[in-house]
Amino acid sequence: MSQLTLTLKSAPATRIDLSGLAPAIAGGASASALALLTIAPATRLGDLFAISGSTGGDINLSGTTSRVDGIGAGLTGGTWTVEGDTGANAGLDMRGGKLIIKGNAGHYLASGMKAGTIHVTGNAGDFVGGVASGKRFGMTGGSVIIDGNSGSRTGNKMRRGLILVRGTAGEAAGSRMVGGTIVAEGGFGPHTGQLMRRGTLIGPKVEHMSATFADCGTHELVILSIMSRAWTHDLGPLAPKPLPAKVRRYAGDLASIGKGEILLTA
Amino acid sequence: MKSSLINGVTIDDTFAEAFGMSGTGLIITADTPKWAMICATTMTGFGTSVIGCGAECGIDRVLSPDETPDGRPGVRVLMFGFSPDALIPQVANRVGQCVLTSPGSACYAAVDGPIPIPLGTALRQFGDGWQTARRAGGKRYWRVPVMDGEFVCEDKTGCVTTAVGGGNLLLLGTDRRGTLEVAEAAIDAIAKVPDCITPFPGGIVRSGSKVGSKYAGMFASANDAFAPTLKGATRTELNADTVCVLEIVIDGLTSADVANAMRAGLSAIIANGAAKGVTRVSAGNYGGKLGQHHYHLRELV
Repeated sequence: MSQLTLTLKSAPATRIDLSGLAPAIAGGASASALALLTIAPATRLGDLFAISGSTGGDINLSGTTSRVDGIGAGLTGGTWTVEGDTGANAGLDMRGGKLIIKGNAGHYLASGMKAGTIHVTGNAGDFVGGVASGKRFGMTGGSVIIDGNSGSRTGNKMRRGLILVRGTAGEAAGSRMVGGTIVAEGGFGPHTGQLMRRGTLIGPKVEHMSATFADCGTHELVILSIMSRAWTHDLGPLAPKPLPAKVRRYAGDLASIGKGEILLTA
Repeated sequence: MKSSLINGVTIDDTFAEAFGMSGTGLIITADTPKWAMICATTMTGFGTSVIGCGAECGIDRVLSPDETPDGRPGVRVLMFGFSPDALIPQVANRVGQCVLTSPGSACYAAVDGPIPIPLGTALRQFGDGWQTARRAGGKRYWRVPVMDGEFVCEDKTGCVTTAVGGGNLLLLGTDRRGTLEVAEAAIDAIAKVPDCITPFPGGIVRSGSKVGSKYAGMFASANDAFAPTLKGATRTELNADTVCVLEIVIDGLTSADVANAMRAGLSAIIANGAAKGVTRVSAGNYGGKLGQHHYHLRELV
């Protein structure tokens, strides 16, 4: 199967925007046509990247830095592997496929994502799966797995899907959330679930639980077995660790409609 | 009528006549196998015949924990009706009254058919606003708060219109107890066939009927030709020594399932029928004009 490899020749001095790349590839652009793609003022893809191979199969990017924005934006299928950090908006509005980032991701990872899988081996910035300016919702489907930590407001106005943070989720994860699940295996920061309406936050602890989350006691929840089994089926080794039989349920945010929940696993 | 004698049991040269139906199914789980079975038994109760019960219901099989969506012990139940529309209220009422109410229960789709049947769609309103939906593995589940925790229920189940209802076997015997024992053995054999049920009590019917009646308004009435106590008084179908006729009725999700079930039942009857007084096996039909599906006994042995 054909492969396309894009190698950044030198660290860019300004921000560059690769959000046109996935749509151009999906539109059938050849490697030579991609070289002419504008990625910054007066800058074409071929000016900054060494391009080898051909389109039609997997995409590999290497040498990227936190100034390279929009990697995998609008992706609809196939596998992209990124060796290096990514800037803002990686996986923006993703509709399918798999984006593997072997490095750290910037802000607004998976914003507007609808389907597919993103795996970040390092940390992610603020607003993972968060709502972009002018949009109604953040992430509305798919799965994001972050092996490290995530920044502030993870899942801001998220509606559906899974964000798994194997480390800790920063301040105000699940803020204004309307659905979906965030699992933080290392725990959540302060202000977790601020103004969340619906949705589920799962982790061993919350740094300073807000007063507007009400302790509902410890329970066995059948739905967690269903979710665990579905995650294992869909994600294999990337799935969250098995959940305990019993969790402590906090309902909130009662400053909003209070139909969301924080489930403490420890 | 030409017939064949196999292992001491006469197999009539006739056929069972069955009808196209709509079929749906549910997986019911609970904390223990016992409670999954109590729930399944209750929700399939009073589900023997579409004529009087609205749906024909039964237990297809017991499921191990790794076969259920939530990893708990479960039971798969099947329901058959005249149409998907006729099944909708049956599913809603039976799940609402018998599954929602049963301790620790949860309820999921068990038939992947093209026509959706609402499950949680209707029941969620029991939550009075506290219900929440959750998507997992491409399916939608409802979490409804109840007094022992949460009732979890999939949003919809599926329905197929390729189901068949009314596959049947008639056991004619010279001994009532023996004939019942042989019928029970046939039911045990049929229970091992997937995707089919035997909806009558214990899978067995003793009041097989004919179409029509001398009384206005009765659609079906005593099958006097198969009633042993009338064999001298009516134009009987029975042998002189027949004292008991029992019927097994089978519904399946496909015609092949019904044929497999009849084959399994026949085989069990032939295996040990003669020793217990079963002398003949026949089948019920209406001359072949009413039902789309015909199962010839001699093709099944």
